[in-house]
Amino acid sequence: MRNRKYVLDLADVQYKLVILHWKVKLLRLILWFSVSVLMAVFYGTVFENLFGSPKKRMLSQQVENLKLQYSLIGRQLDNSMVCLNSFRLSDDIRYRPVLDMDAIPESYRHAGFGGVDRFRDLRGYVNSDLLISFRSKIEEIKNLANVQDESFKTITERSAEWKREMDHQPMISPVSVEFRLGDGYRFREIHPVYGTPRMHYGQDFSVPYGTDIYATGDGKVIESGWNSNGFGNYIVIDHGYGLHSTYGHLSDIKVVKGMNVKRGDLIALSGSTGTSSGPHLHYQINQFGEHKNPINFFNNDMSVEEYNEMIQALGSISKFR
Amino acid sequence: MPRTKYKFNPDSLSFDRVRLGVKAILLRFLAYFIGTIIVAVIYWVIFATFFDSPKEKALEREVAQLTIQYDLIHREMVNVENVLEDLQKTDDNLYRTIFEAEPIPATLREGGVGGVNRYEVLEGYNNSNLVIETAGRLDKIRKKIYVQSKSFDDLIELAMKKEEMLRAVPAILPISNKDLTRTASGFGLRIHPIYKIIKFHSGMDFTAPAGTDVYSTGNGVIVSIQSSKRGLGNHIIIDHGFRYTSVYAHLSNFNVRVGQKVQRGDVIGFVGNTGTSVANHLHYEIKLNGTNVDPVNYYFEDLTAAEYVRMIEIASKTGQSFD
Repeated sequence: MRNRKYVLDLADVQYKLVILHWKVKLLRLILWFSVSVLMAVFYGTVFENLFGSPKKRMLSQQVENLKLQYSLIGRQLDNSMVCLNSFRLSDDIRYRPVLDMDAIPESYRHAGFGGVDRFRDLRGYVNSDLLISFRSKIEEIKNLANVQDESFKTITERSAEWKREMDHQPMISPVSVEFRLGDGYRFREIHPVYGTPRMHYGQDFSVPYGTDIYATGDGKVIESGWNSNGFGNYIVIDHGYGLHSTYGHLSDIKVVKGMNVKRGDLIALSGSTGTSSGPHLHYQINQFGEHKNPINFFNNDMSVEEYNEMIQALGSISKFR
Repeated sequence: MPRTKYKFNPDSLSFDRVRLGVKAILLRFLAYFIGTIIVAVIYWVIFATFFDSPKEKALEREVAQLTIQYDLIHREMVNVENVLEDLQKTDDNLYRTIFEAEPIPATLREGGVGGVNRYEVLEGYNNSNLVIETAGRLDKIRKKIYVQSKSFDDLIELAMKKEEMLRAVPAILPISNKDLTRTASGFGLRIHPIYKIIKFHSGMDFTAPAGTDVYSTGNGVIVSIQSSKRGLGNHIIIDHGFRYTSVYAHLSNFNVRVGQKVQRGDVIGFVGNTGTSVANHLHYEIKLNGTNVDPVNYYFEDLTAAEYVRMIEIASKTGQSFD
């Protein structure tokens, strides 16, 4: 009863009970409801903008966590770049020059970038910059790694070739250095046997009868036996690369035609067979059919001991090749 | 409330006007306010459980994309690391094949040479041993008037020419050698690339592409230019005076004439593969009184203390020389 309200009706001069029509009550309820919803929206918006909903906060935290993971993987990416740079340095500066190979152009290493916007699907995010930068970084690294892989393969092939060429080229003296050099690559006014002027296309080595003669480079024996043009018992080795070495006036031949030999292999004993004025080795080098001065194919840079050591060393290495 | 309201007072049996005190009005507002907040919370909880705000939607999208991309990148990283491991093996094998030595980890990969403190003793090391030695010897001579095999006049001349000497004595690298990557075989006993035996290597080798500039390492005079197909191949000899000469071998071409005066840093020739050489490289020698000395001690104008130590490390590893 206490809450019942009365209104003074001046017309009737009576206090009348305020009875609200149910419609009015409903209207009031609806009004109150709408206002409260409006207030709720208002509060909610204000609150969310100030603090954020718990869900929003959780999601934001997830974003931060992910960004942290990105920064960690970012360090790994940087490490990879450092590695790639050092491989690239070795490639450009150490290996290619030695092997007489041109460096890979910078443009080739970075080919495949730019052009159509490949990162369209990564746009429109708050962290789009992060996503794009990481994506492009990993793509760059993949690309550089592939180019480097390709390059190293080529270099490895070429280095094997380089070694092979080094092993095959005639590069040592065919006899021990304890012996003296004889007549060289020159025009002889008087040939020691014929007496007429003739060009001497070889290098003579004054070696006593029966001296060990060694192959001066890896190769294949293409001639071995008697030569009717004055070389007597002779051997010709084909080293590849257009190079042939000839060993003349031999007494005892230790190899046969078709045999493969290695530098340092004992191929014959010296003698004086054929057109020879005395026991000596006639040594000749031809490249693509042209005569070359054999003196440019060996050095006087070791002692007798070193020469013997070399023959041993070459012999033991050839076992593994 | 628009109309005035009355309440029945049972005690006085009359109607009292309902007057709302300020306090009461405030209380009502407060009640209303709190009421709406509670309702707001309830609405929001219900709403949030079933719907996401646009901001949340955006965040979810963000999280999803970040996660997808991260997984992608992570997978790619694993692949890349495998490739890098293979590349490392290949790099090491190439190094062994070409240099016949164990590869040294590059400073880049190691993240810098060791502590600087080890090299304190080399800090401030501006003059060559010889200069310090000579200066010391000269002091002794001045104090004791001690005449050696060389004439006294000779030595006084040497002292007065100290400035000239500092410019003449070899003190820089004969080719550009960024990060010391061109340093190949060093001075001393090395595997000969052809003979496969340990032989004395009288100089230092630097690998470089054919045609690379070769510099004079000190002021001097060109005393010899020789073309040859064997031994040192095309080579230049420079006389620096003060009993020093330097040799630059296996060149592809020359850039000077005999008798020409050169300054430290002048281009005297170009890297090649002439003579007994297995690859394009510069073979560099320094002779003191006609005897070969280790060139590694004569780059003090070019190298920091740390680089000097590193160069010794690289050059001294037993390996194959290129000539």
